[in-house]
Amino acid sequence: MLGEALAVLAKELRSELRSRVALNAILLFALTTLVAVAYQIGPYRIHEEDRPHLLAALLWIILFFAATSGLARVFVKEEDAHTAKTLRLAARPGAVFAGKFAFNVVLLGTLELVVVPLFCVLLGYRVAGLLGLVLLLAAGTVALAAVATMVAAIISRASGSGTLFAVLTVPLALPLLVMLIQGTRAAAGSAELAAVLPALRGIVSLAGVTLVSSVFLFPVVWHD
Amino acid sequence: MVTFEDVGKRFGDRSVLAGVSGQLRPGVVLVVTGPNGAGKSTLLNILSGLIRASRGVVSYRDGRGELPRERWFSVLGVAAPDMAVYEELSAMENLRLFTRLRGLRRSDTSLAALLQELGLAPREHHRPVATYSSGQKQRVKLAQALVHTPPVLLLDEPSSNLDAAGHELVASLLAQRRPTTAIAVATNDPREMAWGDEEIALAR
Repeated sequence: MLGEALAVLAKELRSELRSRVALNAILLFALTTLVAVAYQIGPYRIHEEDRPHLLAALLWIILFFAATSGLARVFVKEEDAHTAKTLRLAARPGAVFAGKFAFNVVLLGTLELVVVPLFCVLLGYRVAGLLGLVLLLAAGTVALAAVATMVAAIISRASGSGTLFAVLTVPLALPLLVMLIQGTRAAAGSAELAAVLPALRGIVSLAGVTLVSSVFLFPVVWHD
Repeated sequence: MVTFEDVGKRFGDRSVLAGVSGQLRPGVVLVVTGPNGAGKSTLLNILSGLIRASRGVVSYRDGRGELPRERWFSVLGVAAPDMAVYEELSAMENLRLFTRLRGLRRSDTSLAALLQELGLAPREHHRPVATYSSGQKQRVKLAQALVHTPPVLLLDEPSSNLDAAGHELVASLLAQRRPTTAIAVATNDPREMAWGDEEIALAR
């Protein structure tokens, strides 16, 4: 199963490196939003006491909505290009989900690698607990990729799948988004890892629940 | 061997297939014919497990007994007009992918030999499929259906987009595989209908 999932991941990476559709979509959205926010707010237009709350929320709003503009493609493009049927007949559902989920993790990770340092520089966001932030980003990436991959599989065969993806993902990911913002705010204010642990526990639990339910739900969604 | 009994399909209140029975076995090519909308592709989709029949039973048997539905794909090779290979990848990369997805390993030499057997010259093997003609894409599509040497082949209009030489090529490929492979061909092309040993004629 691992070899098959890696084959799906390698295919996704190769296709994306050649077409760059998803990467361009999410980076363009993220950078445009980031520049607009930085231009309007900048490092000095928020009171010091409000900075941890507002900047944590802004960071995740940018990351979340940028991600929703590209993560659905893993399944939608298979339906659009008529390759979904070929894939269904060649691979086990578990391998397809694992490969596509791993690709979305890579895509989100790339987005964060570009956006988070830029956000910190442009908006003067100082993070006291860097390790805490890194752990939050890692857990958030896994959780968000899990939710987005499953929703993408569900909506891929529907007409108007782009709109449906946003409509379904936003309410499902809202608790995750709240925990990520709370955790990021805590990481910004404290160098202690303990400060981010409550949010981290919640995020890891949500990622675990989503991944486990996907193992059972995905074969049904994929085949029927 | 694949057996299907009294297979029918309804989409909402519209019946597209009613009470079809038959058998796929090595040495026999089953040709499914009928006018557009008679349910030829639907029957092949049901036989491949892609859609569920509204009524009737499909069963796959190998030497060890009946195969569960989730394992049908491992013994199947399918090519159909509504299936595509990955256009960003080359023909060779597509074949590597489809063998790995099935948990198999094939040397590049054997994959290149299959592509050549299907009439794709070595200089074409490493170009993205997006740059191929429709006939060349059809050949890659057939290659992905054959790459794992499946004991069951379901082909929907297999020589569509192919020239006369391509049609002959498909005929000879099927003739080679006929003794060991259970084959079904859905078609309205009289040249493809001539390959059949048995026929199911569907009516609309």
